[in-house]
Amino acid sequence: MSFLNPFFLIGSLVLAVPVLIHLVRREKSEVIRFSSLMFLLKVPKRAVRQQILKNLLLMLLRLLILALLVVAFMRPYLSDSNTPAAATSNDHGIVMLLDNSYSMRYGTNMDKMKREAVKRIDAMGGNDRMSIVAFNDSATVLARPTADRGQLRASVAALEPTFHGTRYYEAFTTADRVLQQYAKEQKNLIMISDFQRAGWNRSSRENVISRDVKAEMVNLGVENSTNLGIDNVSVDATSFTRTFGGHVTARIHNYRKDLPATVPVSLTLNGKEVPPRRTVTISANSTALADFTGFDLPVGASKGKVRIEADDPLMVDNEFMFSMERREKLKVLLVDGGKPRQTFYLRNGLASSTDLPMDVTVTNADSLRAEDLPMYNVVMISDVPRLSDRVRDQLVANRKTGQGQLVILGQYADLSWWGNFPGFPVKPTQKVIANRNLGKPSVSMTSFDKNSGIFKKFQSSVTFTLSTAQFFAYTQMDLKSGATALAKFEDGSPALAEFTGADRGLVVFASSVDNALPAGWNDFPLKASFAPMFIEVARYLSHSSEVREWYALGEGIPIVGSLVGGVAAVINPSGSREALGELAAGEQRFYTPTVPGFHSIQVGRDVRVVAVNPPSKEGNLDLIPPDELLASVQSTAAEARQAGLFTSDDQLDHARRQLSWWYLLLIAILAAVVEIYIANRSQRAASGAPIPGKRPGSSLFGFGRNR
Amino acid sequence: MSTPIVEGPKNRFIDPKVLMRIQNLELTARTVVEGFVSGLHQSPYLGFSVDFAEYRPYQKGDELKRIDWNVYARSDKLYIKLYEGETNTRVLILLDMSGSMSYGSAEVRKIDYAKILAACLTYFAYHQRDGVGLVTFDSEIRAHIPAARKTGQLPTILKEITNSEAAKETAFKKPLRYLAEVLNRRGIIVVISDFYDEPANIIAGLKALKSKGNDIMAFHIMDDYELTFPFEDMAQFEDLETQKKLHVIPEYLRPNYLSILNDHMAELKKGLTGSQIDYTLMNTSKPLDAGLFSYLAARAHSV
Repeated sequence: MSFLNPFFLIGSLVLAVPVLIHLVRREKSEVIRFSSLMFLLKVPKRAVRQQILKNLLLMLLRLLILALLVVAFMRPYLSDSNTPAAATSNDHGIVMLLDNSYSMRYGTNMDKMKREAVKRIDAMGGNDRMSIVAFNDSATVLARPTADRGQLRASVAALEPTFHGTRYYEAFTTADRVLQQYAKEQKNLIMISDFQRAGWNRSSRENVISRDVKAEMVNLGVENSTNLGIDNVSVDATSFTRTFGGHVTARIHNYRKDLPATVPVSLTLNGKEVPPRRTVTISANSTALADFTGFDLPVGASKGKVRIEADDPLMVDNEFMFSMERREKLKVLLVDGGKPRQTFYLRNGLASSTDLPMDVTVTNADSLRAEDLPMYNVVMISDVPRLSDRVRDQLVANRKTGQGQLVILGQYADLSWWGNFPGFPVKPTQKVIANRNLGKPSVSMTSFDKNSGIFKKFQSSVTFTLSTAQFFAYTQMDLKSGATALAKFEDGSPALAEFTGADRGLVVFASSVDNALPAGWNDFPLKASFAPMFIEVARYLSHSSEVREWYALGEGIPIVGSLVGGVAAVINPSGSREALGELAAGEQRFYTPTVPGFHSIQVGRDVRVVAVNPPSKEGNLDLIPPDELLASVQSTAAEARQAGLFTSDDQLDHARRQLSWWYLLLIAILAAVVEIYIANRSQRAASGAPIPGKRPGSSLFGFGRNR
Repeated sequence: MSTPIVEGPKNRFIDPKVLMRIQNLELTARTVVEGFVSGLHQSPYLGFSVDFAEYRPYQKGDELKRIDWNVYARSDKLYIKLYEGETNTRVLILLDMSGSMSYGSAEVRKIDYAKILAACLTYFAYHQRDGVGLVTFDSEIRAHIPAARKTGQLPTILKEITNSEAAKETAFKKPLRYLAEVLNRRGIIVVISDFYDEPANIIAGLKALKSKGNDIMAFHIMDDYELTFPFEDMAQFEDLETQKKLHVIPEYLRPNYLSILNDHMAELKKGLTGSQIDYTLMNTSKPLDAGLFSYLAARAHSV
C-alpha cells in the first residue's frame, strides 16, 4: 500500500500530544495537603481500574479517530498485487547489453567489448541465466535467457558493428522487458558500451530499470578521442547548368580537445576525384568548412562524396555522401487572348532570375498550334475566351503524359465553354463585380492551403501573404466533385482550384493577371506574392520535386508515385533490389534504408539516386558518466513506490484503489459515535457529583449530556 | 433529636471569613453572640436562678406563684421577687485538635471555624451563667478544664482554645472513655470535630456519655472541598494527620470518594440521632449561627 499524500503523516504527531500531556502532568503533579486520606484509601481498586479502563478505551478511541483521519488524508493507495516480488533464490538472472552502434568501430572497441562480454559469460554461476541484447538506435535480443554458455558465446562472436546511431533508452526498455522474465533470480544488468553522450536524450528520462536490479556498467569509452569527421555536407542538389554554379560545402569536425588538425579534403563525383583538393586546418574541438564549386556536372543524377584524408581510429565518418542532379530547364508556354498584357506579368515573373529553371515562350491563342504543345512541360492559358477543338484535345491528351496546365478565367473567358473543358475541376457560374454584386469595392484572397504542393514552400514564411491584393472582380466557380480549393476569396468562393488524386495536372485561377487598371479585375500582379506564387504553380505543374542531397541512416525516404504511378523498387548499395510494390499516381510511401551508401529508387520509369550517410553525431565520442546514465533510468526508492501506483491503464482500477480513504473516514465516524456513547455513559455515572465548571467524561466532540 | 440548620436572614450572620480577621477570640465570640441574641424576640432563658436580687411591683400577667406573699402581708402591696442568675446547667465543649482539622480549602480552616464556634458557645454559656468547661483532644486528651461557673473561667477557656493547634491523628475511643469515667455530673456536652474515625467508635463513645444523662451535641465540621471534592488535575494527596501520600486522579476517584463520605456521614447521623444525640453538619464556608441555634435548642431541653 502506498500513499498519495504522504506529507499528511506529519499529522500523526498529534497522536503523541495526549500521551505527552499525560506524562508531563504526571511528572509535574503537585502535592495537595488534604485533611485525611481515610475515604480515598477506601475507594475500591476495582472501581478505579474500571474507570481507568473506561478512560483508556476512550483515549484509544480518540487516538484511533485521529489516526484514521490522518491516514485518510494521506490518501492510501492499494498497490498492484503483481508488483515485482523480491528475489527468492541466490541465482542470478542477467541481461547483458552490448553496444554495436557505429561508434563502436572506433579503434578496437568492438574486440574489447567481445572480450569483456565473454568474461562475464565465463563468470556465470551454475544456475545463472543470461540474455544478450545488442543495441544501437534500436535493440535486438540476440539470446533469450539461457544458462547455455556456448550459445551465449556464439551470440557474442557473431555480433558485428552497425552503421546506426545510439539510443540508450531503447536498450534499457528492452532490458527491462527481459529482466521481468526472471521471476525468482536476483536481477543483474551488464552494459558494455563506449557511453557516448550523444546516445542519451535527456528528454526521454524515464525510470525503466527497477531498483532491485543490480547494474554493472563496463565503460569502453575514451576520454579524449582523436577522431576527425565530416558531420554535414550542404549542396544545391539541383543544377540546370553544365558548370556547377552552386556550392558543395563540407563541415569537418575535429573532436580532439587538445590539438588542432590539418587535413586534405577531396571531392569525388561519380567515382572521379574533382581536383583540386582543399586543405583545412581545424582548431581543437571545433569545425571548419571545405567548399567546392565550378566543376562540370553531367546531365542526370550524380553520386558525390567528400572525403578527408585522415588516419584516425574511426574511419566511417571520414567520408560523406551526397547526390545531385543536373536537369534541363522547364519549358513553359504562356498563351494569351491577343492582348500582350495578359501574359506580361506572368512572363516577367517566371523569368525574373536566370537561376529560375524555366524557359518561357509566349504566344496567343490564335497562333497556337496543337502539334507544338507536347514539347512544353507547363502550359498557362491566360484569359483566353475559348480554344480550338484541336488544341483542346491536344491539351487533354498532353495532360495524361504529365503536362501541367493553368487556366486563368478573366473577363474575356467564355465561362460556358471552359465549364465543358474535359478535366476542368470547377464549374464557372458567373463573373462577379465586387462593387456591383457584393456592395463593396473589392475582395481579397484571404486563405490558402498551406499543405498543398503550391503553398508548402511558404508554410514557415511570415512575409508571404495573398490578402494584400485587391480583387475588384472575379469568376465565381463551383467545385466539382473530387476538386479542392487551394486558395479562396474572403466570401468563400474558390480562387485557385484543382482535382485531387489521379486527375491532377489542371489548375484554375478565378481572376485575370493583366493588371488592367483602372477598369481591370485586380492589382495582384503588382504585389510581392504574385511572382512567387506563379513560380510555385509552374514548378508544381511540372511535377519537378526538389531532391534532398542526402539522408541520415534511419531516416525515412519519401517515395512518391509519379504522375502515372508504377512499380517501386530500391536498389541498395550492395546491388540487391528490394521491391516496394505498385505505387498509384500521387501516392507516397516511406522507405527506411538499413545501410549507408547510394540507393537507387525506381518508380515506374523514373529513377533517382539517394545518398544515405551514417548518423554524423556518432562521431562525437564525448562520454556520459555511466553512473549518471544509470541514475537517469533507474528508479529511486521513492520513485519505485510511486511507480507501483501507476502500472495499470485501467482508470477504474486506479479509482477503486484510491477509494480506501472513504472507508477509513466511515470507520472514523463510527468510532466517533462509539466515543460519544461511552463518554456520555461515563458522564452519567459521574453526574451524581456535579463539579462546578467541570464535566467529567464529556465527549471529544462536545456531545456531553449536561451541556 | 437532631436540630436542623436554621437559616436566618443572611445579613444577620457574619461571614466566617470576616470573623477570621478579628484576632481576639473573646471579641469574636461577643460579636457573634450579641449579634445573635439581639436578633431574638424574646429570651425565655433569662432569670432561672435561686439567689434573691430585688423586688419589683406586680404587673398584670405576672405569675401569681412568683408574688412574695410575706411582703404583701407586711405592706399590703404586691411585689414580685426577682432572683440573681445562677448556674443551672454545665456545658463541656469537646474540641477536636487532630491534624485533619487544620485543613482549609479557603481562608477559613476547619480548626479556626471550630475554635470560633467553641468560643461562641463558651461565651454564650458563660453569660447564661452556665458552668463551662473545655476538653481538647486528638487521639488523647490534650487539655481538660472542668466545667465551672467562676470568675476567670471564660478567659482561661478562651486562652486554651487560642493556644491549641491541631496535630496528630483522630481517635475517639480513648478520650471518650476517659470522659465517661471522669464526668459525674450531667450537663451539656458539645463535640466539635470532623469525625475522621470509624462511626462505630464515635457512636459508642458518645452513647456512653449520653447514658450518664448528658445532653450531647455533635458539630460535624467539614470543608466545602471535602464535601464536593472538586479537584481536577492529577496530584499527590498528602494526609495532614499521617503525612502519607497518594497519587490521585480526582476524576477517577471522585464518585467513589463522595459515595464513601456520604455513607460515613449517613451512618454517623443515623447512629447519633438514634441515641438522641444532636448531629449538625457545619460547612466552613457557611456562617456558624446554625451552631448556636442547635445549642440553644439543646440547652432548653437540658434545663
